[in-house]
Amino acid sequence: MAAVYKSLSKSSGKKASEPELDGENNKIKRNKQRVLILSSRGVTYRHRHLLNDLAAMLPHGRKDVKFDSKSKLYQLNELAELYNCNNVMFFEARKGKDLYIWLSKVPNGPTVKFHAQNLHTMEELHFTGNCLKGSRPVLSFDSVFEEEPHLKVIKELFLHIFGVPQGARKSKPFVDHVMAFSIADGKIWIRNYEIREVEKVKGDEEESEETAAKARKSSKSSGDKDTDVSMVEIGPRFVLTPIVIQEGAFGGPILYENKRFISPNQVRSDLRKSKAGRHNHRAEQQRDRVAKFSNLGLDEVAKRDSNGLDTRELFA
Amino acid sequence: AIGEVESDDQDDEDDSDFSDNGPDLSRMEESDLSDSESDVHGNDSDEDEDEDEEEEDIDLEDINSDLEEEDEENVAASARIRQTINNKEGLLAVLRRFQIDTSSSAPFVTHQTVVAKKSTEASIPSIEDDLVRELAFMNQALEAARIARAILRKENVPFTRPTDYFAETLRSDATMELVKNKLIEEATAKKASAEARKQRDLKKFGKQVQVAKQQERAKQKRETLDKITQLKKKRQEGGTSSAVGTKEADDLFDVAIDNELGKTAGGGGGNNKKRSFGGDGDNNRSGGNNKRQKKDSKFGFGGKKRHVKSGDATSSGDLSGFSAKRMKAKPDARPGKSGGAPAGRPAKAPRMGKSRRQGG
Repeated sequence: MAAVYKSLSKSSGKKASEPELDGENNKIKRNKQRVLILSSRGVTYRHRHLLNDLAAMLPHGRKDVKFDSKSKLYQLNELAELYNCNNVMFFEARKGKDLYIWLSKVPNGPTVKFHAQNLHTMEELHFTGNCLKGSRPVLSFDSVFEEEPHLKVIKELFLHIFGVPQGARKSKPFVDHVMAFSIADGKIWIRNYEIREVEKVKGDEEESEETAAKARKSSKSSGDKDTDVSMVEIGPRFVLTPIVIQEGAFGGPILYENKRFISPNQVRSDLRKSKAGRHNHRAEQQRDRVAKFSNLGLDEVAKRDSNGLDTRELFA
Repeated sequence: AIGEVESDDQDDEDDSDFSDNGPDLSRMEESDLSDSESDVHGNDSDEDEDEDEEEEDIDLEDINSDLEEEDEENVAASARIRQTINNKEGLLAVLRRFQIDTSSSAPFVTHQTVVAKKSTEASIPSIEDDLVRELAFMNQALEAARIARAILRKENVPFTRPTDYFAETLRSDATMELVKNKLIEEATAKKASAEARKQRDLKKFGKQVQVAKQQERAKQKRETLDKITQLKKKRQEGGTSSAVGTKEADDLFDVAIDNELGKTAGGGGGNNKKRSFGGDGDNNRSGGNNKRQKKDSKFGFGGKKRHVKSGDATSSGDLSGFSAKRMKAKPDARPGKSGGAPAGRPAKAPRMGKSRRQGG
């Protein structure tokens, strides 16, 4: 009983994620997050690689087997409870082409659904950076994230899921990568960079003053170091378009809907319809032409040059 | 039943008028998010407006039941609703529920988030331009990294990875090998193509230079030969006209001719004989040189060949070494006469009469 009681109380403490600055005790409630990472069936190799990359980057995450259903997503809540996770990242692949990513706070938090595009995984050779597996990243948000309430919610979710909590079991101590979230064209662009420290090169006499000034400034802020940071991209990189924000975990009323989002199905069907439209238009024109000629008495083109020996004239 | 407040969960919820805790099955059927995105659009029942949530529940029920009667109104209303699903208060309420502290009162190391001061999109003139766009993202990340580094150093949190710290990296060593090889390949390909281009250009340039040089050499050769022929002509003409008068002129010319002939001696091997005959005018000699030159012409390279016939048709017919003025230092007052006489043959004095010959 005691063991059960202990486990229950521990789990209740773990799931909570609000910090309370207890003035008297000076205790900050620890930020404990765990993410359940899984996909639906029908994911392609690209989606799978992306999933594996993200799972590797999140030491506080737990990768699980494929989830069977696409409609009964509320079952994910129970799954997360089972694994003691308070976040869920679900990859839903439709038609083997489109990837949708659901981020959710499991017990009763909001759910955001994104459409993912332009996926590049870490395997691609034009990314040259590398970082420790499980190091805590620096999250860099665009200023636009603080302007709209729906973007604030999205930012908070990113912080909980992509930000590795302090003291996570498999996390590494040093900080060597940055995750950048930017907003452009109504979409969220996600990039990963390695923080590489380069020696500040002492140039010629003319430049030495600048570098000396810089060195003084940096040493003031950083203590004794004289290096500058540079960014090298690691990957993966992808673009997310928010579609809906729901109030509950995989359910509930819709709080935000993106008007500018056009589903890829829609795009494809429009394309096909326009092509069909062209053909139909041409066929109609042809029919109209034939009708016009018959109305004018010019039934067939060959009839124009008919001589007196034509059968139709002789045997009218 | 839908609007009931359920407060049986463990988490603290400060003010939730309306909490949707576990799977809400009745709601799920209405909001069928299964097949395509268009379902979301076409779903009337779950739409919110910018109002309180309790009111909205009642509205939804109304919409569901009275569809036929208030058709037009509903269509208009749903159109209006569909345009503005942005429940800001709801969003903020939800946010407050699960937010963690990222203000400056919490130590940076707990959250490690940096919000940029400026909008990144502002520095991207066109989304299609990949280079500029990626650069803007990188700059945002760079700024954030700098700020983070400063703050973390102040908080005495380890930031830089020391070079002797070995741990598993995110991308495997095999991948990094491939990356390195690709970079090397690219670099060598670039260098090779640059080299090839340089060689091609040099070749073109070199060809030009070669052609120019050849032309110049040919021109010079032509010039020299022209000069020689001119001088030869002048010599022959000038020699038969006035021996004394032209002697000095010829002296001068001889020097020039000799020089010219000396220059082309290397180029034209066939001129050797002429050189030795023509260049041996004794006007040119001066004491000690005489001996040397004689010996040269006899024994030196291109000198008189020892076993060569010396009286054959060509050599005896070759009258270039003879000139009348040398044979007979005769003042010839009548240029026409001497010009008429065959070149080179010494103009003989008319034979004396018998009496003179025998008597005198």
